[in-house]
Amino acid sequence: MIQPAKFYFEDVALHGVLETPAMTITEAHVTLYAGLTRDEPLEPGAVPEILPLCLTTGLGWRVPQPPLAVLAFMGFEWHALSPVRVGDTIFSRSKTVTKRSMKDGGVVIEEREVINQRGETVHKGKFTFLVAKRPAA
Amino acid sequence: MTDPRRFFDDIQVGEEYESPGRTVTETDIVIFAGLSGDYNILHTDAEFMKSSLFGERIAHGLLGLAIQAGLFTRATQPYATLAFVGLRWKFKGPIKIGDTIRVRAKVTVKKETSKGDRGVVTVERTVLNQRDEVVQEGETDLMVERRPA
Repeated sequence: MIQPAKFYFEDVALHGVLETPAMTITEAHVTLYAGLTRDEPLEPGAVPEILPLCLTTGLGWRVPQPPLAVLAFMGFEWHALSPVRVGDTIFSRSKTVTKRSMKDGGVVIEEREVINQRGETVHKGKFTFLVAKRPAA
Repeated sequence: MTDPRRFFDDIQVGEEYESPGRTVTETDIVIFAGLSGDYNILHTDAEFMKSSLFGERIAHGLLGLAIQAGLFTRATQPYATLAFVGLRWKFKGPIKIGDTIRVRAKVTVKKETSKGDRGVVTVERTVLNQRDEVVQEGETDLMVERRPA
């Protein structure tokens, strides 16, 4: 049986950059998100700041690379630099800035930016993941 | 009509709030997977997850964060928020289907900005489950309007 490919700690390239496809944030995304969470937009046409972040996780699966073998999403920091509006088209660019090997797996720190259709970085932050090592053959 | 929102001047360092609880359901996780496009097996494959460390599907970490943001708005009168500035966040434990989470929050810092009409309020937040275990915690910075003169 062929198992889907995975990207292990050993495969992660330090300073490797990954760009996702873009997507347009619509009123439907905001309505569905606000209904699900009750985290409402501050004014009509605004996009709650956590929503683009959530969308970048899905976009991160649509890149020409197998998914990272994440054991745990440990934490992150996030900065909203400028507002995102309904109708904006965003993508994310991420870069591995730290790799630290541990006994079981390794810690990977990734910088992520959310970029809009004008090329402006609207949100950015740093994510810390615990990633599995390649199982012994 | 008086503005029911709480301005930068009204909010005091040391204030604490606790939100109502909310039970996280399978439906929440399915909708969040559809909305975000994050179909990681951790959240979507019940059979695979039986043999995992968690024993069952768990909620997306960011779903917990987003639900917490909604619960916070039910914990206190709304702030006169102009913008969300940023956050620092840690995922401490899984949120499983049927878990009831709530947020406990405390205002830790108030910082005036160079613009006189607003300030940054830092709120420390702890997300607890029904067993009072901390599942997520962190700090959020909000830009809040000053009371108009």
